[in-house]
Amino acid sequence: MALKTIGTYEFPSRSRQELYGEDMLVHVWWKDNPMFCAAATFRAPQAMSWADFRAAIVDPWASSDPDYDASHDFSWGLDGQPFTPEPGTSLADLGIGHKHTVSFWG
Amino acid sequence: MTATPTRPARKLSMKARYSALTRDLDWEPSYVSSAEMFPYTSFEGIKIHDWSKWEDPFRLTVDAYYKYQAEKDKRLYAVLDGFAQSQGHLSLSQASYLNAMKIFLGGVTPLEYQAHRNFAFLSRHFNGPGPRFAALCQSQDEIRHAQTEIHTLSNYNKYYSGMHSFLKQHDRVWYMSVPKSYFDDALSAGPFEFLIAIGFSFEYLLTNLLFVPFMSGASFNGDLPTMTFGFSAQSDESRHMTLGLEAIKFLLEQDEDNVPIVQEWVDKWFWRGYRVAAIVAQMLDYMLPKPVMSWKEAFELYFEKQMLEGLFPDLEYYGIKPPRHVQQAIDEKEALSHFVYWVFYNFSFAANFTTSIPSTEHQAWLAENYPDTFVEYFQKPRWDKAQRIVDNGGRFFFMGLPQLCQVCQIPMTFPEPGDLNTICQRTSDYNGEHFNLCSDGCKWIFDREPEKYVQAWLPVHQIYQGNCGGPTVPDVLAWYGMQEGDGGEIAGSRDEVNWAAWHGTPAAKEA
Repeated sequence: MALKTIGTYEFPSRSRQELYGEDMLVHVWWKDNPMFCAAATFRAPQAMSWADFRAAIVDPWASSDPDYDASHDFSWGLDGQPFTPEPGTSLADLGIGHKHTVSFWG
Repeated sequence: MTATPTRPARKLSMKARYSALTRDLDWEPSYVSSAEMFPYTSFEGIKIHDWSKWEDPFRLTVDAYYKYQAEKDKRLYAVLDGFAQSQGHLSLSQASYLNAMKIFLGGVTPLEYQAHRNFAFLSRHFNGPGPRFAALCQSQDEIRHAQTEIHTLSNYNKYYSGMHSFLKQHDRVWYMSVPKSYFDDALSAGPFEFLIAIGFSFEYLLTNLLFVPFMSGASFNGDLPTMTFGFSAQSDESRHMTLGLEAIKFLLEQDEDNVPIVQEWVDKWFWRGYRVAAIVAQMLDYMLPKPVMSWKEAFELYFEKQMLEGLFPDLEYYGIKPPRHVQQAIDEKEALSHFVYWVFYNFSFAANFTTSIPSTEHQAWLAENYPDTFVEYFQKPRWDKAQRIVDNGGRFFFMGLPQLCQVCQIPMTFPEPGDLNTICQRTSDYNGEHFNLCSDGCKWIFDREPEKYVQAWLPVHQIYQGNCGGPTVPDVLAWYGMQEGDGGEIAGSRDEVNWAAWHGTPAAKEA
């Protein structure tokens, strides 16, 4: 259904990727840990490698839970599909897009 | 030129006086068209054939309105003065009770002002004098409510944290964007949608659920000023409820083509309002040192019984069905408050209020009121572990920023229908961009008007764009106008320490 308006109604998204330059927003969802009330949102370079993303961004956040063990072998998902992150590959090359959701569990 | 009056005019009856001073002041435009004079009442597709059919159930005139309100205000301010002079704040149940009022002041009071603005707009822009006058009265009520709420709570601001910058924080703080964006959505809609959004959905469908808990909570916890404000506003609220009901009936009776349009608004605004009410749910179940009733009980009484069983059978006559997604709200009643307070527990380091693990006694109350959910889904996996972390000298906080729903703007915490162990995640792609939604209700609202919701000012995204003072938590808190002592953990907080000193008792818990 088209929006009913009094005139032309065209406004850009307030969170479009270009507002973040070479970066993007990535959601990380620890699926089976209810301590985290929601998935987290991070800003990360699209060219950042998965290994750097893990070490610099995911691990510090997940360590909010003192039981977090970074060496644990988690299962990973991307937007609900199974996903195998390669440490040396960039987030963009792994198919992670702006505002998409990476999840882990196990 | 002076005419000598022969005899005084006969006094008009109330009804005739109302008619003379409101409806008789209407006129037909002569040198502009009706469409030029009222440019906003056709684009939404609502058809009105006879504006005179609007019944104003409260036949007030302006002079009578001001007389009544002035008397009510005098009584309220007398109570406020007495409370302040007698150090009434010391007889609250606990300092932490005021967390509920900190949320009310920042989250609700500015909405009263926004309601005032838009009802003032409607009092100019409706074609018919009946709805124009009703909107005028409501507009005046709303600005009075904003003022009296601010005055009611200002006494506490002298002694307690977190109330000093409520207006700035309404525009900036992450969780305040929930009520703010809700109202912005209504303000930027057409006049009839606003009437259904605020006049009907907010002021009728959900009003008891939204306001009665705050006022009863005040009464149970020694907050005489807020309770008195609640009584003072009650007669206005009942007038607003009548207006909301009259509004929907008027639209439905004017033209059959209005029915599907109104139905979609009811569907949308029920869900929008219900999501805002989640803040009330956690307040009722977690923030009141002396609880009044559970959210579940309030929901059953004020919504299921009064609205679903009382109102909707009447609306069925017009072809209006209960709101789409209402079943999801019913299903969530056992769990809603627990999820939302957990969000606040995760993030109160960035708020103007404090949170803590509920006391043993309080957890027993929660278990009693939520026998099917609290212990299994919330106490064991969340609070017990949070307690272990505290016992080891820590405090669990979510050291990051949460994923927000594009529509309701609440962190995406709500459960998958039928599965309290899994967060519900929905997505939509629009114009090549990916959007995240917390529920089927919010996704339905987004997909219906994506052009509108892509503009959402999501606090988390704004922080990452560099629009909120800087990249670090202290930068953002400074930009929020937070001061030392506003947020964080209750134990050892400034309010708790002061409270203990004023009462000559040691603080209950050491931070």
